[in-house]
Amino acid sequence: MGETTNRAADFWSGLALAALGTYIVLEARQWEYLGPEGPGAGFFPLWYGIAMVALSLALVASSALRKPGGGGIDWRNAGRSAAAWLAFAASVAACKLVGFAVSFALLTFFIVAVLYRRPLAVAATVAVAVAAGFQVVFAMALGVSLPSGVLGF
Amino acid sequence: MNATVRALVLATIAAAAPAVHAQGFKPTRPIEMVVHTGPGGGNDVLARAIAAMIEKEKLAPVRMQVVNKPGGNGNVFVAYVAEKRGDPHTLGLFTGNMITNMLISTEVKVTLRDLTPIARLVLEPAVIAVKADAPYKTLADFIDDAKKRPGQLKQSGGSITSRDNVVRQLLMRSTGAQWAFISFPGGGERIAALLGGHVNMMVIEPEEAGEHIRAGNMRVLAQVSERRLHGFPNVPTLKEAGFDVPVVPQVRGVVAPPGIPKENVQYWEELFRKLTRTASWQKYLAENQFEDGYLTSAELAAFFDGFSDRMREILGAAGIKTVR
Amino acid sequence: MEILSSLAQGFAVALAPANLLWCFVGVLLGTVIGIMPGLGPPATIAMLLPLTFQMTPAAAMIMLAGIYYGAKYGGSTTSILLNVPGESASVVTCLDGYQMARKGRAGAALGIAAIASFVAGTVGVLGLMLVAPPLARFALAFSSPEYFGLMTLGLALVVLLAGRSVIKALLAALVGLWIASMGTDLFSATSRFTFGQMELLAGIDFIVVAIGVFAIGEVLANIALREGTQLLPVPKGLRNLLPTWQDLKDCRFAFLNGSVVGFLVGVLPGGGSTIASFLSYGLEKAVSRRRGQFGTGVIEGVAAPEGANNSETGGALVPLLTLGIPGSGTTAILLAALVLWGFKPGPLFIPENPTLFWGLVASMYLGNAMLLVLNLPLVPAFAQVLRLPVYVLYPLIFGVSMVGVYSVSGSPFDLALLAAFGLLGYLMRKLDYPTAPLILALALGAGLERALRQSLMMSGGNLAILVERPIAAVMLSLALVVLLIPLVGRLNAWRLRALEPDGG
Repeated sequence: MGETTNRAADFWSGLALAALGTYIVLEARQWEYLGPEGPGAGFFPLWYGIAMVALSLALVASSALRKPGGGGIDWRNAGRSAAAWLAFAASVAACKLVGFAVSFALLTFFIVAVLYRRPLAVAATVAVAVAAGFQVVFAMALGVSLPSGVLGF
Repeated sequence: MNATVRALVLATIAAAAPAVHAQGFKPTRPIEMVVHTGPGGGNDVLARAIAAMIEKEKLAPVRMQVVNKPGGNGNVFVAYVAEKRGDPHTLGLFTGNMITNMLISTEVKVTLRDLTPIARLVLEPAVIAVKADAPYKTLADFIDDAKKRPGQLKQSGGSITSRDNVVRQLLMRSTGAQWAFISFPGGGERIAALLGGHVNMMVIEPEEAGEHIRAGNMRVLAQVSERRLHGFPNVPTLKEAGFDVPVVPQVRGVVAPPGIPKENVQYWEELFRKLTRTASWQKYLAENQFEDGYLTSAELAAFFDGFSDRMREILGAAGIKTVR
Repeated sequence: MEILSSLAQGFAVALAPANLLWCFVGVLLGTVIGIMPGLGPPATIAMLLPLTFQMTPAAAMIMLAGIYYGAKYGGSTTSILLNVPGESASVVTCLDGYQMARKGRAGAALGIAAIASFVAGTVGVLGLMLVAPPLARFALAFSSPEYFGLMTLGLALVVLLAGRSVIKALLAALVGLWIASMGTDLFSATSRFTFGQMELLAGIDFIVVAIGVFAIGEVLANIALREGTQLLPVPKGLRNLLPTWQDLKDCRFAFLNGSVVGFLVGVLPGGGSTIASFLSYGLEKAVSRRRGQFGTGVIEGVAAPEGANNSETGGALVPLLTLGIPGSGTTAILLAALVLWGFKPGPLFIPENPTLFWGLVASMYLGNAMLLVLNLPLVPAFAQVLRLPVYVLYPLIFGVSMVGVYSVSGSPFDLALLAAFGLLGYLMRKLDYPTAPLILALALGAGLERALRQSLMMSGGNLAILVERPIAAVMLSLALVVLLIPLVGRLNAWRLRALEPDGG
């Protein structure tokens, strides 16, 4: 009974983490390792950076040595996730411009209409209802401040 | 001109003078008082107290509301107020730490010096405390012991740029003694370290120390202030105890966004000048064991300069890199 | 006994109609606001503090205690239903609570959270009442070397949370340590890993990472599935909407575990409910017979941390009310409130204000009971949220996450971080890296490093300080034991396999 994760995933993520670990170690070298009053800022990062490099290289090695096979990663629907993430990121960026209510409504509309292929009327209703609901419950009732943009809300 | 007429003329001029002032700016919207802590933090509590006092004493025609902008070690607060350039209805409460923080970090793009100084309000004194069963009766006892055992004694405090460490650096420099400084992020942990016997001494706000002293767990060796606090009439100040070190205060005050017109600044100055003269303010100071540190706008600007220079020098001597 | 008579007097105060009302209001408001992700007890109490200015100190303290409990319970609702941690201490509840919801047992999870909160919260108040002063003195003996031991024990639990690949769990934990060290170093004022961004000078908020990795990451992973109106199963019938007797039996140890661990961690100045919930979860997993199923929806995995979360409240009040030392962010606000009303919490607080103290203790019992009474009937109602079609639920999760994060700091930068960590959470799921170790290491990392450096400063560089003090030595030994558990399990499996007859 071996590992069933994909070896390519382990290989590349291991390399990425090894790179991160190396970066951490290089940065840590710039700070004080052991000062007169105790360990400096560089002490801890150096050690966990080294551990990161060691473990990730071990991961790379173990994945390279493993026989090919085992379940692959299902990248088929990754496009949907990517689209969803891009929409989320765009919504976050738009908050400063048009305010939370509008950008959140747009995000909801995108998810319902594009990702889940619901009729435009349904998408629009859900988007407006949800955004308005948030505005009422949080901004007005609870007094929580939401990002507001040029439209004033 | 006889005495009565002269008196009348003087009275008229005196009455007219504030009217001339009042021709300038008057707030028409609620004032935003921005603070760099979350709710319940030091400046937040002070801001709410100020807002309450202004309302009670009817010093302004509008309300003041507190806006919290925590994060980035106070830098989010500074950036936020700076963004409100020219806005006549925004104010912010600063602490002296913001000057120190800007000296050591390169990431900070907008600093407290970019804002308009309005008034300095309070000085926070501190006391030097040890556990009640410690063998030190005076600060000199502690210093002597530190000289005999360099590096063995320990002080608990905040970050290395905090006032706790500044006091330590100044004392160590002036006496040649040496003791270690251990940082704890929370006040509770610092006190616990002292009461648990894990450190020997700490610099603590008089307010916080009060109850522990009353319960007999702590003893105060000296006070870090210019004059003796009324809560500690029998404790010598640093100078009185024979240590010629400058009292570096922890300060709080008011700033405003850059680019506001002169009448605006004058209005704020006048508002806070009046505030510090009210009985409520005096009561507040006494209750919290603060010292009145009122400075006008121009004086505050000069204070910032002097404080930066002093901090730069102290940090440098402590081995901390300053970048501006 | 003197304690009983004092308690009776306390109940007389707490049961006064006005105070009872304020207790109820506090619990209700606390729960409602606590449900909002990101808004935990500190923010909730701070928000509602101005309301208390018009009340008598007793009424105000009682209401604040109610808010404290309510907010802690409210945090678990979104954790279980939406995988959005309501506050830092509810992050652990997401691990098994959300999985239970996905299996159609949301009602049981919500119910057990309420019951565990009640049981452990009551134990916490009992502790406050009976052992506060001696325990406070004990807490003072706990300093940096002991903290180091405690944090190491916590991190050793990473190994237990490993799942299939220990290497990947450790790597996730190391990334968590890296994120934890971003910001300005307390001891040397050096900025570490801030990438030139001033918003990073104070480090990254734990809740932003937790919500991003758990909630956003999960939605991104699930959105990939094309099924349209896939609903999460919501079983009908009240019997299935609440915990069963079997569930309660399974949680016997969890109740005890949560109560004790939460209370003790709460007593330590600097120990918080997040650490308490992680430790309790880890302990439960370590001693459980079905340890391998943790993370897939095991009810003890909800009961233990939720209990620890609530009994921590009682524990945190011990140093506050006996020594005047606030142990956590929330108790710091309570301290400020007490000072505002003219009280001075310190060693003389209880002897000088017995009515207030015992009234508070009595109201905490009541608050706990009210929590249960108020929330158990609401469980079926909350569970109905899961009936929403996913194309409404997922935007809801996005929105609630954004509002939650923004309400904590008011910073658009944190929203950008939310998006970034959402992506990280998605990638971790895809690449089969466990997310819990990252979150655990993030929660404990800063404390671990601080404790280590403080200890070495105390001993002047001598590492022996970490093991020579008795409590610290015990902690480190326990950590070692925890690290060995999976090893023993693996050895056993290897041994059993070796004993099998060869070949076919």
